[in-house]
Amino acid sequence: MMVQSIINGLMIGGIYALVAVGLTLIFGVMGIVNFAQGELLMVGMFLTYLLNQWLGLGIYPLFFVVTPLCFLIGYGIFRGLINRVIGKPDIYQILLTLGLSIFLINGAIMIWGPDYHSIPNTIKQAAWNFGGFSIPVARVIAFCVAAAMVWALNIVINKTEMGRAMRATAESREIATLLGINPRRTFAIAFAIGIALAGAAGLLMSPLFYVYPHVGQLFSNTAFVVVVLGGMGDVYGAMIGGLLIGIVEALSSVYLAMDLAQLGVFVIFILVLFLRPNGLFGRRTA
Amino acid sequence: MLARYGKLGVVAVLLAAAASVPLFTDQQYLLNVLTMIFLFSALGIAWNFIGGYAAQLSLGHAVFLAIGAYTTIILFTRYHVTPLVGMFVGAVLAVAASVIIGYPCFRLRGPYFTLSTIAFGEILRILLLHYGNFTGGANGLNIPYRGEQPWNLQFDSKASYYWIMLAVLVLFYVLGKVITTSRIGMYLQAIRDDQDAAESLGVKTGNVKLTALMISAGLTGLLGAIYACIIGFVDPGSVASTTMSTQIALVAIVGGVGTLGGPIVGAAVVTGLTEVTNAWLGATRTGTSLTLYGALLMIIVLTRPAGLISLVDLIKWPKKSEKPTEPATEVTSR
Repeated sequence: MMVQSIINGLMIGGIYALVAVGLTLIFGVMGIVNFAQGELLMVGMFLTYLLNQWLGLGIYPLFFVVTPLCFLIGYGIFRGLINRVIGKPDIYQILLTLGLSIFLINGAIMIWGPDYHSIPNTIKQAAWNFGGFSIPVARVIAFCVAAAMVWALNIVINKTEMGRAMRATAESREIATLLGINPRRTFAIAFAIGIALAGAAGLLMSPLFYVYPHVGQLFSNTAFVVVVLGGMGDVYGAMIGGLLIGIVEALSSVYLAMDLAQLGVFVIFILVLFLRPNGLFGRRTA
Repeated sequence: MLARYGKLGVVAVLLAAAASVPLFTDQQYLLNVLTMIFLFSALGIAWNFIGGYAAQLSLGHAVFLAIGAYTTIILFTRYHVTPLVGMFVGAVLAVAASVIIGYPCFRLRGPYFTLSTIAFGEILRILLLHYGNFTGGANGLNIPYRGEQPWNLQFDSKASYYWIMLAVLVLFYVLGKVITTSRIGMYLQAIRDDQDAAESLGVKTGNVKLTALMISAGLTGLLGAIYACIIGFVDPGSVASTTMSTQIALVAIVGGVGTLGGPIVGAAVVTGLTEVTNAWLGATRTGTSLTLYGALLMIIVLTRPAGLISLVDLIKWPKKSEKPTEPATEVTSR
């Protein structure tokens, strides 16, 4: 029972990590807490659902359509909205992304209604059994793709020219500008990558969850917890934090009560905020 | 002086007009909408003490509203305590909760503070759902209607609630005026302008913020009790949700953060918007009003961060030089 719930927790934790890595990247590079991250996950799920209906493509091939689309959406949101509040007080940034979140949820309700949709697929029930444990295949795929994306992101941040520009801009916008880096362009790309990760997470979740306008809220609060746990702006921290929170949630739903799964998560969140506001690992990185 | 009396006269006429509305109409729908506008105006004023004057963006005020509402309803239906007493018990409990939340939260700043208020809100909502035997869980609790009982805040006509809510709003407005012009009001404005500078001048910022949160929470708790009596029903989805917390904050932000008149303007616009779109589109397009809401919030942040009330400043008032100084309403967060 315990091992099974830890396995389940790890698998869902991989998705939490993916959403949180996008959030923490945005925070680390431009200091903005994106309250609409969960809603962009919802957008990713809806895009998967709609493209599946229109084009008849399977969920996983659509990965190569949905992720770039979400990148473009993220780029557009930055250019149109976020760009205008860079360097303004926190309160403006929070309110702007909060407004975007309300807009996206209710825009989706307006267009598609509040109903639950599901994408027809065969992978939902499939599971691998070994040694008495069963692991749903869709969760394994989600976990592996999430891990691969975080690994790739890490290479981008640490090994490429773009990544160097991001780290430099995060460190000091003025000095980065003096070095010939265009901070707005760097911000726009970092934001777009963060949103692409959320969209990909939405796609990976779509075989496992119903698609409906409020689905993002299932993940956004958890993603904030993970980001704070890992240290705001710390990509590795978010990865480990995501896995940890997945396990905490799975264990508290088994040992406390089904409906208290989230309670354990929030209590840990409050404790970390007060005891170690720089995150469990206490590093400050971009 | 003349300008001052002129302004008071305008206020008196407006109040008299507002108070006489139920004499001219018995349209329950209209009275209900206006009552809700007053309620949200008062909630915005209460939120403003911490969110506006102290610039600590709380997105967890549903906690205090829910504590006030649930305390009153549980005391009334189970222990036959009149809401007139229950509302003050609820307010005291809300203040107690605010100390528990505020004491650790004020060590955090900016997004961290906002995130922790959201977390507390979610914790209360989860607990309300889990302890369903006591709180009614997802089904909520309702006050069985037993006819006109003024001592239990139960009335046959909407007009009574209308007058009660109007009186409470006026009371809150006056209270807000008194507090913002007091010493603590000045401290709060200093914190909003520059927390570090205020600290270095000897303002105990932690204590001042906690006091502001306690006032804000107590008033919100009272309003929660009144809300429960007017609606006659509470459930976690309506009073303890993040959506409710956001709505409380939005009323103040859309109208004008850190102003007394702002929340009234905000509540009128936001509630009006909801009612108009609902009446116009019916139940077919449920998300429309909230979509506009989200768009409005983004537009306000990008174009007029001081809120809709700042549009009033664009009007050329006659005798501008003779306008009396009013620190509370004139200093907006520009």
